[in-house]
Amino acid sequence: MIKVALAGQPNCGKSTVFNMISGIYQHIANYPGVTVDKKSGRFKAGDREVELVDLPGTYSFSSYSAEERVAKDVILEEDPDIIVNVVDASNIKRNLYLTFQLLEIGKPVVVVLNMMDVAARRGIEIDSHKMAELLGCPVVEASGAQGKGKEEILQALKLIWDQKSSFEEFRLNYEGLEPFIQKLQRDFTKIDSVVSSRWLAIKALEQDMQIIQKLEKMQRGIAQKAKEYRLQFHEVLDRDPESFLAALRFDSADIIYHKCVVEKQKDHVTATDIADRFILNRWLALPFLFLVMFGIYELSIVMGYKITDYTWPLLAAVKNFTVDILPAANFTEVPVITEFGIWMVNSANALLNYIPIFLILFALIAILEDVGYMPRMAFILDRLFRKFGLHGQSTLPLVLGGAFVGGCAVPGVMATKGIADDRARMATILTVPYMNCLAKVPFYTLLLGAFFKAEMALMMFYISTVTVFIALIVAKILTSTVLKTRETAPFVMELPPYHLPTFKGVVLRAFERVWIYIKKVVTIVLAVAVILFALLQFPGLDEERRAHYAQKSQEALSYFDNRVRGSDYYALVDTKEEVSRLLNFYDGYKMKRMTASGKEGAQAVDSEYKALNPEFFKFVKPKGDAEARKINRPLRKLSRMRKKILMDIKDEKVENSLLGMAGRSIEPFTQYAGFDWKVNVAFLSSFAARESAVATLGSIYENNKTKEGARAEETMAQNSGYTPLHATAMIIFMILTPPCIATMIVVKFQTGSYRWMLFAIFFPITLGIATAITVFQMGVHSSLNGVEAMTFFYVSVLLTALVLGLMPQKRINWSGGLPQSKVRDLH
Amino acid sequence: MRRARYRKQKREGFKRLSDISSGESVKILRVNARDKLLYKLLDMGFIDGTVINVIREAPLFDPMELRVQNYLVSLRKSEAQLIEVERV
Repeated sequence: MIKVALAGQPNCGKSTVFNMISGIYQHIANYPGVTVDKKSGRFKAGDREVELVDLPGTYSFSSYSAEERVAKDVILEEDPDIIVNVVDASNIKRNLYLTFQLLEIGKPVVVVLNMMDVAARRGIEIDSHKMAELLGCPVVEASGAQGKGKEEILQALKLIWDQKSSFEEFRLNYEGLEPFIQKLQRDFTKIDSVVSSRWLAIKALEQDMQIIQKLEKMQRGIAQKAKEYRLQFHEVLDRDPESFLAALRFDSADIIYHKCVVEKQKDHVTATDIADRFILNRWLALPFLFLVMFGIYELSIVMGYKITDYTWPLLAAVKNFTVDILPAANFTEVPVITEFGIWMVNSANALLNYIPIFLILFALIAILEDVGYMPRMAFILDRLFRKFGLHGQSTLPLVLGGAFVGGCAVPGVMATKGIADDRARMATILTVPYMNCLAKVPFYTLLLGAFFKAEMALMMFYISTVTVFIALIVAKILTSTVLKTRETAPFVMELPPYHLPTFKGVVLRAFERVWIYIKKVVTIVLAVAVILFALLQFPGLDEERRAHYAQKSQEALSYFDNRVRGSDYYALVDTKEEVSRLLNFYDGYKMKRMTASGKEGAQAVDSEYKALNPEFFKFVKPKGDAEARKINRPLRKLSRMRKKILMDIKDEKVENSLLGMAGRSIEPFTQYAGFDWKVNVAFLSSFAARESAVATLGSIYENNKTKEGARAEETMAQNSGYTPLHATAMIIFMILTPPCIATMIVVKFQTGSYRWMLFAIFFPITLGIATAITVFQMGVHSSLNGVEAMTFFYVSVLLTALVLGLMPQKRINWSGGLPQSKVRDLH
Repeated sequence: MRRARYRKQKREGFKRLSDISSGESVKILRVNARDKLLYKLLDMGFIDGTVINVIREAPLFDPMELRVQNYLVSLRKSEAQLIEVERV
């Protein structure tokens, strides 16, 4: 088997070449360093099997970024037979800089001149034969986007493999550094490696810590030797080896460029230049950015939400089907397995419901990545975000998280992947969940509708705008405390030329990411749903209460029995089993009718139920049958009575459940924020999915006094005994509350650690409860009402953000520059 | 030796890249960065003697967009300050 490593600089089209030759789909992006994952594929070239390993895109082969370290690790540890170097033919000089570093490794290299079509369009002519002669390796012309060059690349691989024995190591003459390279090579007495010892010596002199550590492990004292030679070299030439080497490599690239490349339209203004004149224009850039963000938001969140109206019936159908196949309820005795089944389907549906939104969102992100707008976005907003420890590239994640009213933290956190600066990336991951998630909106509307009818608009304005400031403050706090020591990267970012995205690439990537979401997030959320179900079910009701509800059921049944006794059909419904079956039949029919679409759908449900049980169907739809109507009316009443009893049982179960106990046990503490145990339970269950907070609060406050059909807002205002100040404290906690489980899982994947996941849960809880207590106590003692308390909160947040933003930047993100004394000399 | 070179540069009016306005072309005299930043700058083509074209500033006046080695790159002014240049 031939092992081939695919290397190349960012934006050279490496991924398209990978797809073309291996035939396996792989992530493509027009964004520096998005392929941090290592991907590989196997395929056959003639009679030989080839394993292709895709290295992350790197500008160089030093070890100053995670990508470069990964790339070098693959070379050192996996020992590929051949390196395929993808070169952007339209940007050849800088790309050749990497080529020289690859040639040095001492393995056979095949240079693939990709994007030949783009180069030709820009009037760049390349003499690939001459280049092959000069570099001593095969040079293949290709265009990954047009699928050209596959056969030629495979042929070159075969040629190299067959001529392996006559391969001679590439040598670039490093002039002044040569004596030191050779001296160090001679010192390598115990070094045994699959790669060229010359390369190792060069890297050691370049002070590549990754390589030096490896060498030091094999032979102690090598690091010291390398350091000595560096100093000696510095004495002779007054230069560091690294800048000397870089200059020499660029000079060599320049020689190749001048001998093999003819640029006909050298100072020609490209389409990218013209586009940037508008897109990056001082006055137009921000409005345009806002338009793009707003467009993404409208298309994905708003339109996607509308699409869920059409996809929801599908999920409802799945739920109906599950209800059908699970054992039916015997009046008010619902089997645990049925309850469990419905709970699980509901949990899954709550997450799957967002798939249309995610699909549109991921497709739009893919387009932005491929087009090349992402780094430009970072360019435009970097200054603002940097003040708070974030990065220009934090824009998109924050917008997706919900910079307008409602987003989703899951795609937001997923979109942080491309941020090069580790500290800013971590800070972004940890702040995105503070944005307004879509599922928080119903909770706000419930509370606003109940307590702030008159001031609704003002409160909504506070809620939707305060989150951005909170996110910025949190980012600033985190980056100057827990994240202070995280690695940062200099903001030296390429602005790649604009490219038209390919339809196939965008669609495939959108589906790939949605699939990751389903695979990773939904599965784990379901596992957690099982635990939550147990927490809500056990220990359940005691004997006495069960007897109480059994009696209530009996009362309902006898009521029904008395009413239907006069009907001619009485014989069909004179036992509990029969009534129960009829009731299930009725409820099942009602539910299906509700989700059926159009007249035809309704008719289909009708005929289905008629075929199922023609007798029962008469009671459900009596039409002209007076005797059947005698049953129909009590039946409807009975159905409502049963629902009421089931709801009461459920509420009492929740109250007595482990989760309910947890809610009670923290009440002595949370009461300072005005939260009673019911609110605690709602917040605890909202952790599974935020939607459930509304459901829990709504159901807890429904009681007997409530008239049938009253809305949740009204019942809450009437029954809870809360003041608007209580509601304000709840809203503030909800704004700061920890993300849902789905987000937590994505945080775990993006940070790669459970510790950060736990931090992402407990930091917001602490912050949320502390803030809620402060505002609530403040409100109580200065007798503020809800709106005044919220205004106080809003103004404080705003001022804090402003002060932090205007605070002068005290430190540069990295060490560098001249020694302080020398800098002083300059002035 | 180094001091002597600085004085010479100062006499000849060397500038910092961060002070160069849009549309101007300059030549790199010296990159005063160290460690990670130096490596990154070298890898991106900021080599002594290279000609840089300042394209524009970001709408919020920082970072700046440059053309180096025939491609576009953005650089914060705090980093551009470490690069000594002269007009060409």
